[in-house]
Amino acid sequence: MRDLLNEIWNSVRNNKLRTALTGFAVSWGIFLLICLLGAGNGIINAFQGSSDRFVTNSMAVWGGITSLPSGGYKEGRRIELDKGDLQITTGKEFEDNVGVVAPVTNSVNDNLILGTKAVRTSMSGVTPEFQAIEKIILQKGRFINPLDLKEQRKVVVLSTKHEKEFGGGNLLGRWINMHGFSFKVIGIIQSDESDWRVSAYIPYTTMKGIFYPGDEIGQISLTFNGIHNLKESNEFESRYTSRLKTHHEAAPEDPNAVWVWNRYSQNAQISQGQRLISIGMWILGLLTLVSGIVGVSNIMLISVKERTHEFGIRKAIGAKPRKILSLIIAESVSITAFFGYLGMGLGMLACEIMDKTLGSRTMDLGFDTIKMMDSPTVGLDVAIEATLLLIVAGTLAGLIPAWKAAKVKPIEALRAE
Amino acid sequence: MALIELRDINKTYDNGQPLHVLKGINLDIERGEFVSIMGASGSGKSTLLNILGILDNYDTGTYHLAGKLIKDLSEGKAAEYRNRMIGFIFQSFNLIGFKTAVENVELPLFYQGVPRKKRHEMAMEYLGKLGLTDWARHFPNEMSGGQKQRVAIARALITKPEIILADEPTGALDSKTSVEVMQLLKQLNKEEGITIIVVTHESGVANETDKIIHIKDGIIGEIEENASHSAWTGSMMK
Repeated sequence: MRDLLNEIWNSVRNNKLRTALTGFAVSWGIFLLICLLGAGNGIINAFQGSSDRFVTNSMAVWGGITSLPSGGYKEGRRIELDKGDLQITTGKEFEDNVGVVAPVTNSVNDNLILGTKAVRTSMSGVTPEFQAIEKIILQKGRFINPLDLKEQRKVVVLSTKHEKEFGGGNLLGRWINMHGFSFKVIGIIQSDESDWRVSAYIPYTTMKGIFYPGDEIGQISLTFNGIHNLKESNEFESRYTSRLKTHHEAAPEDPNAVWVWNRYSQNAQISQGQRLISIGMWILGLLTLVSGIVGVSNIMLISVKERTHEFGIRKAIGAKPRKILSLIIAESVSITAFFGYLGMGLGMLACEIMDKTLGSRTMDLGFDTIKMMDSPTVGLDVAIEATLLLIVAGTLAGLIPAWKAAKVKPIEALRAE
Repeated sequence: MALIELRDINKTYDNGQPLHVLKGINLDIERGEFVSIMGASGSGKSTLLNILGILDNYDTGTYHLAGKLIKDLSEGKAAEYRNRMIGFIFQSFNLIGFKTAVENVELPLFYQGVPRKKRHEMAMEYLGKLGLTDWARHFPNEMSGGQKQRVAIARALITKPEIILADEPTGALDSKTSVEVMQLLKQLNKEEGITIIVVTHESGVANETDKIIHIKDGIIGEIEENASHSAWTGSMMK
């Protein structure tokens, strides 16, 4: 082993420029591979982060606008969900699949007034189930409970974002004025800048009683059970929404009469997207690495040619072809591994820098803001995979040159001077 | 059986048109002999040397070295035989430039798998024999031609081979050094009983050996007994 290392060291020392150039090609390949994988992971993590924020086997439906004439009506009719839809949802027909149901009524842009300060926000009337479906995490206090609902209490759940907008003070227990009514703050939701669930939540019955009398329901959120794959999810979605559309005398096949946000389907698509990104990054990275390998191979070939005479001497005094073969492959693997690790280290550094800069940036999608990247770094598993890859790559790169070297005929090589 | 026994060796090179280089060589060389093979360029002496050194194959005939038939060997086997039975001395020394003198001498033992320490000791011993102890850590390009050839001789001797094949061993040396090197080979033959075959075209060099084998146009011509070293009068060099 020591002899082999000595041989390699001698060869490297005697060909500094060649080794540096070879090394650069490999370092660059691995550097790009790590950067790509890091960026890919960042995007995947950001996706994951946004889908982690809700229960995946849930969906929300809203009334839409018909795009097909049906039941004697022209297209372009606005559909409002109502109590009937709620009854269908909770009724016998879908009881095998429907779990928790939460009707929601939203209003856009209301003023919250506290003392002399006013903050603009949306307001939602919700039931206690809403918390579970939307994975709402309270920082302090409590969420709307059944008693609030029953007694139509004037209570409100705000978020840390509201607290910040009001100047950072503790709002829990304070009375807030909305549309001339005083609401008591009973809970504060943990939220960050990118959270779309920032709203003033009041009991559903209070909302209906004070602001929206009538049968209309803005949105129905529900969880569903017994769905195991994308196909079943899509099937349930189509069966359920067709039923709602029929209830409103819209064509069951009308895609716009009822709007759905099926998080199960979305999540499945995201997972697939993540896989594709991951595969894509590996392919791109590997292709880059291939150019590095070709570089190593090429330079090793030149080196073997330059050392023909030396190999001839070695063979004349008793080196078996296998010895020469292993010498060249060992040299190739050593160079590849050393510079590969250098590139990997730099790549990981670049990922850290990416994390510090792009990692905090968010993207506004209109209905939601998401992070562009979340911890764009690679883990130990990738480092190990990359190590194996380097060894394989080094061996591949050394194979042809080594074979050429092993085939050197001593007589011809000795003549070569 | 002689140490080297060649029977009707034929060799033809086929580069476009066939070139019959060795046309039935019959030759016996006994253990402990100091012989030279002389011939003009193109006479086939280099080809004969390559076959003797198991660096090249022959087409027909038989070649026995120390009782072993040397024919159609695999590359690995050929390398092993070369390593254990043959010591080479070349005109251009053929030392590895990035290795020190002692590392060059160690190399054949490395390919035998001799442990590092043992092989270093042996290499130092042989360098000592050839008066190069102080030069052990030097690289070939720091040494004179004579010193380099002595390193090469140490490398040839270290495996205790059956024969030493010297291909124009003085070809790259000045006349004074040439005499020294030939004296050294003579001394090795006399004192250690090593079989030495020198290939040369210089009659002065051939005259230092005990037997001169003339080769011409691919066949052995005259074999001259030269125990008195008087085949040629005058100085060793032309």
